[in-house]
Amino acid sequence: MAQLELKNLSVHFGGVKAVQNVSLQIEKGEFRGLIGPNGAGKTTVFNAVTGAAQPTQGEIYFEGTKLNGMRPDKIAHMGIARTFQNIRIYPKMTAAENVAIGLESYPSYNAFSAMLRLPHVVRRDKEIKRLSLEYLDRVGILEYKDHEAGALPYGLQRKLEIARAMAGNPKLLFLDEPAAGMNTQEGLEMVTFLKELHSNNTDLTIVLIEHHLEVVMQLCQTINVLNLGSLLAYGTPKEVQCNPDVIKAYLGERRKTYGE
Amino acid sequence: MGYLEGIAISASINIVCICGLVILTGYIGLFSMGHASFMCIGAYAAAILTKYYSFPFIIALLIGGAIAALSSLIIGVPTLRGKMSADCFAIATLGFGEAVRIIMSNISHPYFGGARGMSGIPAYMNLGWALALAFVSIVLTLNYARSQHGKLALAIRDHQDASELIGINIFREKIKCLMYSAFFCGIGGGMMAHYYTYMVPNVFNATISNNLLTSVVLGGVSSVTGPAMGTAILTFLPEVLRFLSNWRLAIYGLVMVLIMRMRPEGLLAHKEIHQPIVQLVRFIRSRTVRSTDSGRG
Repeated sequence: MAQLELKNLSVHFGGVKAVQNVSLQIEKGEFRGLIGPNGAGKTTVFNAVTGAAQPTQGEIYFEGTKLNGMRPDKIAHMGIARTFQNIRIYPKMTAAENVAIGLESYPSYNAFSAMLRLPHVVRRDKEIKRLSLEYLDRVGILEYKDHEAGALPYGLQRKLEIARAMAGNPKLLFLDEPAAGMNTQEGLEMVTFLKELHSNNTDLTIVLIEHHLEVVMQLCQTINVLNLGSLLAYGTPKEVQCNPDVIKAYLGERRKTYGE
Repeated sequence: MGYLEGIAISASINIVCICGLVILTGYIGLFSMGHASFMCIGAYAAAILTKYYSFPFIIALLIGGAIAALSSLIIGVPTLRGKMSADCFAIATLGFGEAVRIIMSNISHPYFGGARGMSGIPAYMNLGWALALAFVSIVLTLNYARSQHGKLALAIRDHQDASELIGINIFREKIKCLMYSAFFCGIGGGMMAHYYTYMVPNVFNATISNNLLTSVVLGGVSSVTGPAMGTAILTFLPEVLRFLSNWRLAIYGLVMVLIMRMRPEGLLAHKEIHQPIVQLVRFIRSRTVRSTDSGRG
């Protein structure tokens, strides 16, 4: 059984049909790409799975459990984490505190012991701190642990967001344009970083939305192409690159001249 | 001396109430314009317990706070469940505040006394109690704010939607903060009742709620000691400016506008008063450690 399964998923906002009749299956441990031109509905697919948008039709199954109508925080605790197209870290907190939020999004001690700062609260807080630093170390930004997150350079903020998502110990990670706004050099660094992330966590399924085609082509084993809300193509990077429909969606059609 | 003592007790009562509101407004970012209602509920509950059932003062205060916290569910559950925007929440609390005041004015039970209020409440409150309660409230709130509960509240204030997708239960965290704030306002109300020994429901009007809110905004977001200092200043300032007679209100307003213009996040936003001292101690400690190390080397 596939880890994540979308069955005829449609998401409509009023008259806008953002996603229409999309069915796809993602296996455990896969590195899947989701590409398509602007407005193709890629982020809406993410939103529907993570509970940020309600599906109009169709079903979403994660490890056999139906996700439709489930509260976003419950979906997150089932093991689905994500990053955002426009970075949403907590700017006034330090990098370590940002990760701590993902680590313990349901507090493990109650409010009364927190007020009295009982010994087990002190212990748990230390534990959270230690684990947060571990996650920062894994993405290679340990030296910035006490920096205000909002003041970090863009690329590090991306990594911090991934560290925060990983801290929730997810089984499935959605990355929404992690290389957006980066130049080629930074994009390549991100590719190396994501490759390492996937090889270090073999059980982790990663779904990647990306505009930089070279990033997707290097990372993903298989790719789904979305256009205007519907699935256009599916296959390995090579197959997708040669698919005439995909080229048409991205670049448009050659204008027919009278001679032809 | 009696005059100064009176101001100090009022300031302490305000500090206890502010400790609650800090979490609601400064941390999770919900503005309430009706927290006087929780003071009112706490005050009546505590006063009835001490006057008619001769409960010990501190137990009565705690029960008053607990009843205020429970009553906050009446307004909290319907407004926060549907992710009502922060502005709408402020309006809803404004309505709740007025409703509580008017309901209290119309309860004709002899314990409550309707619009004439209660009198003959035991005068348990003195400067010692006031300062002790204010100090304990600040410590408890500082502990709460630095715990994971406080951090989650800050997270929700910064990015509510993203926080929910990360796995925070928004409704639960918000209700918790609202109950926390109502609890401390209830205790503050109980303190007030046992200081003045009489009260009428009209005391707990929108002006008190607004003053509380003003202190938090003035004191600074995501700070506990900042707003506590803010409310102490706001309690003393009108008294200090008393020689200016009616001009003091204009100056009070001017001071507020200037502070908001120069420090829009409040006087001590994201900082605590004791932080410099802690840092100084750490600095001295690191220096001494280093000097002993070099001495050994």
